[in-house]
Amino acid sequence: MTGTVLAPLFVDALGEFFRPGTLSEVLLNGLSKAALYAMIASGLTLVFGLLGVLNFAHGSFTMLGAYLGGLVMVVLVGSATGDLARVLFFLVGTLVVFAAIGALGGAVEVGLIRQLYDRPPIYQILLTFGLALVLDEGARIVVAFYGLQPITDWRDALGTKPGFMAENLEVAGLTVAPLALFQIVFGVVTIGAVWLFLTRTRYGMVVRAGSEDDEMTAALGIDVNRVFTTVFALGSAVAGVAGMLLMWDPVWGASLPLAHETLLPAFVVVIVGGLGTFRGTVVAAGLVGLVDATMTWWFQNAITFTGLPEMMIFLVLVLTLIVRPQGLFGVEEVGGH
Amino acid sequence: MSLLELDGVETYYGESHILEGVDLEIEEGEVVALMGRNGVGKTTTLRSILQLTPPREGSIRYRGEELVGKETHEVADAGVGWIPEDRRMFSQLTVEENVRIAVPKGSDVEAGLELAWDAFPDLEEIRDRDAGDLSGGQQQMLAIARGLVGENDLLLVDEPSEGLAPLIVEAVHDALEAVAGETTILLVEQNLPMALDLADRFYVLDHGVVVDSGDADEVSTDSERLRRHLSA
Repeated sequence: MTGTVLAPLFVDALGEFFRPGTLSEVLLNGLSKAALYAMIASGLTLVFGLLGVLNFAHGSFTMLGAYLGGLVMVVLVGSATGDLARVLFFLVGTLVVFAAIGALGGAVEVGLIRQLYDRPPIYQILLTFGLALVLDEGARIVVAFYGLQPITDWRDALGTKPGFMAENLEVAGLTVAPLALFQIVFGVVTIGAVWLFLTRTRYGMVVRAGSEDDEMTAALGIDVNRVFTTVFALGSAVAGVAGMLLMWDPVWGASLPLAHETLLPAFVVVIVGGLGTFRGTVVAAGLVGLVDATMTWWFQNAITFTGLPEMMIFLVLVLTLIVRPQGLFGVEEVGGH
Repeated sequence: MSLLELDGVETYYGESHILEGVDLEIEEGEVVALMGRNGVGKTTTLRSILQLTPPREGSIRYRGEELVGKETHEVADAGVGWIPEDRRMFSQLTVEENVRIAVPKGSDVEAGLELAWDAFPDLEEIRDRDAGDLSGGQQQMLAIARGLVGENDLLLVDEPSEGLAPLIVEAVHDALEAVAGETTILLVEQNLPMALDLADRFYVLDHGVVVDSGDADEVSTDSERLRRHLSA
């Protein structure tokens, strides 16, 4: 009886899902999530690949990037500021966030994490977990001090978004979200820049070498500690820039929960792609982003069951671990230490 | 002044006392073989010089300058190169990138590549291949090429013939012989004929101390003097 009632509903939903307007919306949403996940997870995987450290404070860098970027925008943007100027200010904010969060990441590596390289991994996990708590609570105090709601989005920052990004466009029957397009382009440019850095520069070559064998790299006259600091700073900075992008997104917004809401999918992406592999992380980000967007649509439009969309990416994780435990592009043993 | 002097070097892995007071000297231009059974501390001696496993006691002076307390990259910058036991290629880097990374910062990379390709023309043909896809012999050639382009005054070479076919061992011997004309070498090698043929002098290590030393032409592969310490 139940089956005969549900079957037509499912067929209807299937028809709706494959409508060009819906598909384009889901695809764009999925790719924008993929771009964001790739930005956040690439830092996580670079740090793990080179330093052998699983950084539980990585999501906090994204959250701090969102707040700092929001602060820059709120300070610079007035009600009379035009759309083009808002985009330019966004780029200025990106540079500020990149520099500030990168400097914070570098200081964390030099001041805290470096002291524990010779200890078992559990020390680094506990340290970065503790650091995440300190950063999150520190941000909570500051946010509360200035009278903002820590749990909900920072509305003033959301309001600095250019007008043309606020509404979806209908183009030839397809639904196009300008903000999602912006996130995709920004993510592709950022990931492309990191990829060029890794593959086309001497320093990138050193990073890849150090990820495989830090002792041999040092024996070639390379100051591996300096490379560790640079990579930790770079990974943190890119995570912060991803936060800047999320600050304009009404689904996310600058808020304290952003730290763990971004950390968990990023960990899923890193593990699915293969710990420590940049290429795997980018591919896995695409996979997880598209699965996330697809399942979000299904659970919002065809199956009402709160919380399940978020769980589906963990299903991807479980399936990957069963079928290919080392991840899509992973090798059996990785880690700089 | 010797190029390298080890004086009472004592090195531990955790609580395991591996080197129990190693003394040795190497003069500029020499090839010195460091011999001994498995597990007597030969590789640890090289790791101690490079400060990868820093000694707890003793002194290691290179051109009169103390190395103990320095970082590994500073030891390498001073001119000490390493061709490790298991080659330790960067398997995800190409052959060319493995050579490029070994050229010291500020040096002419193209000249370094030329030097490597001149010494090992076969490597030039596979310069774009990932080092992880090379055979053992090709990896050993690449490891030597990496040592060659590093502009080192002293090369620490660890078991270069290990696990290689006889024909490849011969090629490795010839390559090291060519390098020996340019660079001082401390050679750890179980292949006695090869070690004695290349070396000017030798040291024999047993249980973390030097138990014998002398000129390489004083001994032969079957001499009782060496067999006493090297046979299982």
